[in-house]
Amino acid sequence: MSYTELTVWTRGIIMDKEGRDIVNSIAASARLEGKFAQAMENYVDNPDRTNAPTRKYCRISDSEIENALTYENEAPNILVLVEQTMVKGWDYLRGMPPGGTLVINTHYPPEYMIRFVPGPERLAQLVCVDAAKLADHKWLYYRLGELGLDRLSTEGAAERSKAIAPDIAAPLIAAVVQTTGIVKMATIEPMIANKAAFHAALDQLHVLPLNPVAA
Amino acid sequence: MSTKGTHIPDWLAVPFAGITPAPTQQKGQDLFPTGNWRAIRPVYRDKMPPCNNACGTNEKIQGYLDLVKRGKYLDAYALIKEDMPFPSVTGRVCYHPCEQACNRGKYDEAISIRAVERFLGDLGQALPRDVVKAGPPNGKKVAVVGSGPAGHSAAYQLARMGYQVTILEKSPRAGGLNRGGIPDWVLPQDVLDREIERLVELGITVKTNTEVGKDVSWDDLKKNYDACVLAVGLTEANSARAEGEDKAGVLFGLPFLRDIGMGTSKVKLGARVAIIGGGNTAIDCAREALRQGAEEVTMITVEGNKSEMPAVPEDLHDMLEEGVELLHGLAMTSVLGNGKVEALQLHPARFTGAINASPIAIDRDAPAARFAVDNVIIAVGQHASLKWLPEEFKNERGTIKIDRFGRLGDTMFFAAGDIVQIGSGQPLMVVNAVGDGKRVAFSLDKVVRGEPLQERMVPLDVITDLSRMNMTYFPKFARVQQAMLNPVSRKKTQEEVIQAYSEEQAVEEANRCFSCGTCNACDNCYLVCPEPCIVRSVRSNGLYKILVDYCKGCRVCIEECPTGCLEGVPELDFDTGVVRMDTAFAISQGLHGRQKEELQNLSDRPPKDIENWT
Repeated sequence: MSYTELTVWTRGIIMDKEGRDIVNSIAASARLEGKFAQAMENYVDNPDRTNAPTRKYCRISDSEIENALTYENEAPNILVLVEQTMVKGWDYLRGMPPGGTLVINTHYPPEYMIRFVPGPERLAQLVCVDAAKLADHKWLYYRLGELGLDRLSTEGAAERSKAIAPDIAAPLIAAVVQTTGIVKMATIEPMIANKAAFHAALDQLHVLPLNPVAA
Repeated sequence: MSTKGTHIPDWLAVPFAGITPAPTQQKGQDLFPTGNWRAIRPVYRDKMPPCNNACGTNEKIQGYLDLVKRGKYLDAYALIKEDMPFPSVTGRVCYHPCEQACNRGKYDEAISIRAVERFLGDLGQALPRDVVKAGPPNGKKVAVVGSGPAGHSAAYQLARMGYQVTILEKSPRAGGLNRGGIPDWVLPQDVLDREIERLVELGITVKTNTEVGKDVSWDDLKKNYDACVLAVGLTEANSARAEGEDKAGVLFGLPFLRDIGMGTSKVKLGARVAIIGGGNTAIDCAREALRQGAEEVTMITVEGNKSEMPAVPEDLHDMLEEGVELLHGLAMTSVLGNGKVEALQLHPARFTGAINASPIAIDRDAPAARFAVDNVIIAVGQHASLKWLPEEFKNERGTIKIDRFGRLGDTMFFAAGDIVQIGSGQPLMVVNAVGDGKRVAFSLDKVVRGEPLQERMVPLDVITDLSRMNMTYFPKFARVQQAMLNPVSRKKTQEEVIQAYSEEQAVEEANRCFSCGTCNACDNCYLVCPEPCIVRSVRSNGLYKILVDYCKGCRVCIEECPTGCLEGVPELDFDTGVVRMDTAFAISQGLHGRQKEELQNLSDRPPKDIENWT
């Protein structure tokens, strides 16, 4: 009986879709594999503000998930930070059981990022992937300010959102699936729009093994 | 709303779950710290302004212009005196590399830094006593050979550090090149006399008519002093390598000016005078020749045109205004005449290399021109006279061999000024010699105290250019012109050609300074920040602070900083200031509470009490 929670931390508006794509595509793949899955966004954080920190949730279970009306993940097994600066701001590992995975979109190596992580003893691995570079993202994250000025609203987002993971979400999904095996690679791969970045990421993950949980 | 998973402090408990206190309520003010939105952090970092970097002695030019702007003239004078012993002199004679580097020059017109420096220098001269004091005596004796710019500067800095300094000057009057190389109509003698008096007030002994090699030997220097600075300069004029240079009526540039400056000149110039050379000394000689009674002065240069001449454009312009003629592309090959110069033989010539110091190719097959003159002044550079120096310290250029700190081997002798700068690629000018003297003084001090030597006194930093600044804030303003005497009347007198700024003019000109890369307390960041994240106690340079708990990294302050002293640094570069917050509720003190606390922590630095300086 396995039950896995995935929480994605992202930025309001400018990286909203990236976070949404990750949870939606993984939940959809899980359902295709015959599992029970939920994916939802969090509105507590008032995400319609540029750069405001926002969470997206996904749960996958072999049996039916009963707490359908609770939409915050209390004990996430997998965490994804869509923007590297988020590593500093919160106790995002709160509630994580030992043996968790943290995936960060960053150009820094995991050895550098680990010093910002609160409570790294809970992690089995820290995964860093330079998703912005792999997806050839128009704005690298160190130009986040320009990104915010360019996309001050969600105007046009619906049109863009027809494709799943056209941008920096693709390498992040690859990182999550490759390092945790939460869903099968064969089920999720056809959904991804940016296949080049997805495949490139599979070879270019920087994984720092930490405290494995005895099986 | 769900607050599941977020930590809610007790004091934030609200009557009903899901109700957020309004920001107007006392507790509501402590909500929503937005610092965790930030990917980039604004940081105040003052950078090197180009003027300061270009200055031979790294005067803190932006600093004193800013003080002049605020009417703090004494503070400005004290600041300038840190690096420059005689602002009244350089304010008149400096070839202002700072103004060439000035960012304002790429925008409208460079700041007239030299004129403001002169204003401050004259202010300092009028003071009953100087703002600078000798340091606590350390019992060490230092001899400074030469009282020109480099020697003056080295002696001044050493006296400030507590050394007992003796200046040895071979001429009857101290001042060196400042007195002997610069005409009175640029630098009146009484200005220089006052600056020499200031040196004496610092406790420095000035021994004139004392020549090393004649009155004092190398061994005497070694025996009687703990250390010695050789700032002897270039005293011997170069020859133009023409035939008949020994004829009567042939003069050499620097000795010509020196004799006039020292008051020992017996020269009587004829009506037609030719100047050989195209540098700054040649220009001074040409203009001095007019004042000494010449009617027609012609300058003969090897350079093909005006723009190639290694001279300051303003001085060249002023010289042409006074009616000096120019002949380009010619070299003097012979001085004709029977015992006394009557004419010059000129041949077409050019420099073989790219620089003006390269060998000259003379086309001797071309027909020679004959140029009738009564006197010729040869001003084609100087060289050193170092017969007294032990051979081991001479280099192949005929100057003193030093290491990069100005030291002669591992002796306690140091050398500074033109004597070591010639051939180094550095232009020979007063301010470079002053800077060299200053650096050597600090090197000497380090050696005496047994400390490791430093490469450069001012660390080479980011030099601010226009692209780092927000030019929207700088309207174009014309430079305040210094008044000048009329060319017709001035060319016969020794009166100072360029006039000083009035106080209003100095302030107006200082106001034009961009303050490149350095905070000048414009308050812009304080005003534009959309959240009150920027705090300051009093409006003063560098007294601004950013509250990182609330700064969202929106970059507005960085973009709107006129001078470019605010810069964005990626948040992940910081180990400090890691603010951990919950998404909705703050666990730390809120914005206004924090601001009050930060304001208390800011140093409440009062403006300097300039009235009661001691």
